[in-house]
Amino acid sequence: MKKKTNGFLWLTATPFFVLIIGFLFLPFIAMIISSFKKNGEAGFSLFNYTEVFTNKFYLQAIGNSVLISFTASLIGILVAVFVAYSFTKFSPKVQERLLLLANMTSNFAGVPLAFAYIVLLGTSGLFTILFNELSIGFLQGFNLYSWFGLVIIYIYFQIPLAIMLLYPIYLGIEKRWKEAATLLGASPLQFWLKIGIPFILPGIAGTFSILFANAMGAYATAYALVGSNFNLLPIRIGALISGDIFAQPELGSALAVFLGVSMIIALLINEWLMRLVRRDLA
Amino acid sequence: MSFLTINNLSLAFGEVNVLKELSLSIEEGELVTLLGPSGCGKSTLLRSIAGLVDPDNGSIVIDDKEVISMNPKDREVGMVFQSYALFPNLTVEDNIAFGLRMKKLNKTEIEKKVKSMIDLVGLNGKERSYPRELSGGQQQRAALARALVVEPKVLLLDEPLSALDAQIRARLQNQIRDIQQKLGITMVFVTHDQEEAMAISDRIFLMNNGEIAQSGSPVEIYTRPNSEFVARFMGHYNVLHADELQQIVGFDAGFQGSLFGIRPEAFTETNIHGDGIEVTGEVQKVSLLGNVVRYQLKTGTQHFSAEHLHRSQEYTKSGDVKTLYLSKEDVIPLT
Amino acid sequence: MKENMRTHKIIVTITFLYLFIPLLATFLYSLSTTWNKTILPEGLTLKWFVDLYNDPRFIDALWRTIQLTGGTMIVSILIMVPAIFAITVYAPKYEKWLQTIVLFPYAMPGVVAAVGLLSIYSKSGIPMVIVLAGSYFVLILPFMYQGVRNSLRTVNAKTLVEAAELLGASRSTAFWKVIVPNITPGIMVSSLLSFSVLFGEFVLANILVGGSFETIQIYLYRRLRESGHLSSAIVVSYFLLLLVLSWIMVRFSRRGTLKLKKKEPIV
Repeated sequence: MKKKTNGFLWLTATPFFVLIIGFLFLPFIAMIISSFKKNGEAGFSLFNYTEVFTNKFYLQAIGNSVLISFTASLIGILVAVFVAYSFTKFSPKVQERLLLLANMTSNFAGVPLAFAYIVLLGTSGLFTILFNELSIGFLQGFNLYSWFGLVIIYIYFQIPLAIMLLYPIYLGIEKRWKEAATLLGASPLQFWLKIGIPFILPGIAGTFSILFANAMGAYATAYALVGSNFNLLPIRIGALISGDIFAQPELGSALAVFLGVSMIIALLINEWLMRLVRRDLA
Repeated sequence: MSFLTINNLSLAFGEVNVLKELSLSIEEGELVTLLGPSGCGKSTLLRSIAGLVDPDNGSIVIDDKEVISMNPKDREVGMVFQSYALFPNLTVEDNIAFGLRMKKLNKTEIEKKVKSMIDLVGLNGKERSYPRELSGGQQQRAALARALVVEPKVLLLDEPLSALDAQIRARLQNQIRDIQQKLGITMVFVTHDQEEAMAISDRIFLMNNGEIAQSGSPVEIYTRPNSEFVARFMGHYNVLHADELQQIVGFDAGFQGSLFGIRPEAFTETNIHGDGIEVTGEVQKVSLLGNVVRYQLKTGTQHFSAEHLHRSQEYTKSGDVKTLYLSKEDVIPLT
Repeated sequence: MKENMRTHKIIVTITFLYLFIPLLATFLYSLSTTWNKTILPEGLTLKWFVDLYNDPRFIDALWRTIQLTGGTMIVSILIMVPAIFAITVYAPKYEKWLQTIVLFPYAMPGVVAAVGLLSIYSKSGIPMVIVLAGSYFVLILPFMYQGVRNSLRTVNAKTLVEAAELLGASRSTAFWKVIVPNITPGIMVSSLLSFSVLFGEFVLANILVGGSFETIQIYLYRRLRESGHLSSAIVVSYFLLLLVLSWIMVRFSRRGTLKLKKKEPIV
């Protein structure tokens, strides 16, 4: 009996784990090792990390990434908090369709999204022309290829993702809690302040950490929009490993390890917070 | 003068009439149950009293005040839900204190009231626990305390025990009844379990299809059902047409009506009052239901069932012929 | 209870207006003759679509993308489904491990994964297209795992297998004849989801193979600067494909057992 089980298990699990080790773990380990090597030298050193944390250029890349990701995630989640709540007010059938639409637009990211924004807000974009015709002062100087432009476009892909992550958390709020609170004399505002918001807060914070991680790792959208011209962490990493002349893969590895670690931390925070939500529901 | 009066209450969800011109009145300090199969409108009626659904027509008067257009929170009713609906982010203590805090009572008063409620429902030692850390029975007691502490005029209980297992349910039934008697509070209790209804209520309103099918004390409803529905819902009544009844009791019994109900335990083994009709039947099946034995019998082509208390020294087998006696007043005409 | 439905309708309408404006603009742009000085396009035409579908470079890129994603999908399904089945049913104590492993790709954005893959395989002699396919295997692992595991759970795979084995079926017969037919709808949904993720993948493709194996996304990227109208025709075609895929997914998940999943976007 036991032997037979192992046969089937080994036969199926071996290729599976070979691929996972080959394309997930080995590259990951190789990247970590490479991050501790100085270009052209044999031994291990902290050179790359010292470089990353002292060179203004890389610090600026990290700073820009953090700032853009933080701003876009914050605005994204603020919008989604209201929109996801509104979703729950529709009939189940409509809710399903709204989610489908949100899911569809969340696929609209990367190069196609960058392109759509160029059409809308680029130098000769639809809205750019409109703003100029209407002479709306402060919008005339709008530049899509700037810090502000990147935030605008990052918000776009954060909103549908945030809606889809927050929606199930709202569903966890039982109608009966509201009814019980009403009968005990609470106004809707009091309900939200004392029960609703404390209940969903961990979920919102968890979703925020996912959004933040998502924006930190975003490469395609920014790359398609500004190429290597704007100093962002993922773009810096891409340039360090694939640029033919300036390639410094070891330094790129150190930056990538830093990015990977911050992503893992963000995801762990999310795990922990979501456990709080689920625990309340148990 | 009754304490809670409902007059001609109607409510339709789309095409479906959930409540049909329903009227009832409840005295102060009474515990009544709204009993009925699922979908009969009992929960909707309860939620109408609370103001959680808006009826289309009719009036609801609590303590001489028309409440139909009042907000739920101004009606001074409390409610206990089947799903407990305890607030997950608050401790037992804070859950109970919630309503008092909404009323902006001062701190010492809140503490005092919460303490006495915790004593009343027996949750001492669980004050600082979160709902998720309590058993189902404990959660329901916390929910009960939370609803009672604000001293509502009427406490509404929506199938409060149906998510609990049988033993805990029986214990909580007693506890709810005790608390109700101690506080003298008016309670409306919704259930689909006729045994639960009979065990705890002063009066039962048995509902069917958005109407009151019959109301009365548990004994009245159980022993004098007025319709086939009530008879079938309240117990294992034999429901017989006139011709079927004649096969069992003989031709000249002289009963008036076309449909009759007979409780299975009304067939006795001895002719207690001497005026019993003699009924003979062949035993088809014997089932032991704990302290009760149920016989499936057959007279002619007619099947019926009888129940007696179980006595271990007696053994009746399938195929035996049994002679039983039936009092005339236990044959109840039904509509 | 009286809820203000109008506010919710307004909020939802504005949100979707905001989300669909870039799409609509792109759509209009792909149909317009010229549109760079006026508020509305100067004229309408299908020229850009005709041009696009007559461009051999586009057809080649499309074909490469289909080969790459299709091939990866087939291999992934053949390897992942039996393995996930075997582990959940016959080695449940290792399931926790698997669940943790499956989270890793989430923590590795494309650009980080690319660094690792380059550092180990760039000088290994393995064609980079194969490396790309391998990285795609890892990329879709979370979606496939979720889908397969949920399907296995809803059909009660363990009991089914036990029943089949008591009736004399071998383990692999039980898998192929009993489990596979029952979980096919669920696998279809997660496969389509994975397919649309891979179809839109740019980061790994750009860094690992770049111009040497021009996929649709790379083609689009390179065309961006040359012709806006042509690019918008690509984007519109791409989104229509996504639409069809989502529609098929919904059809399958209605019949099957899967609900809409939360997913990471391809950014």
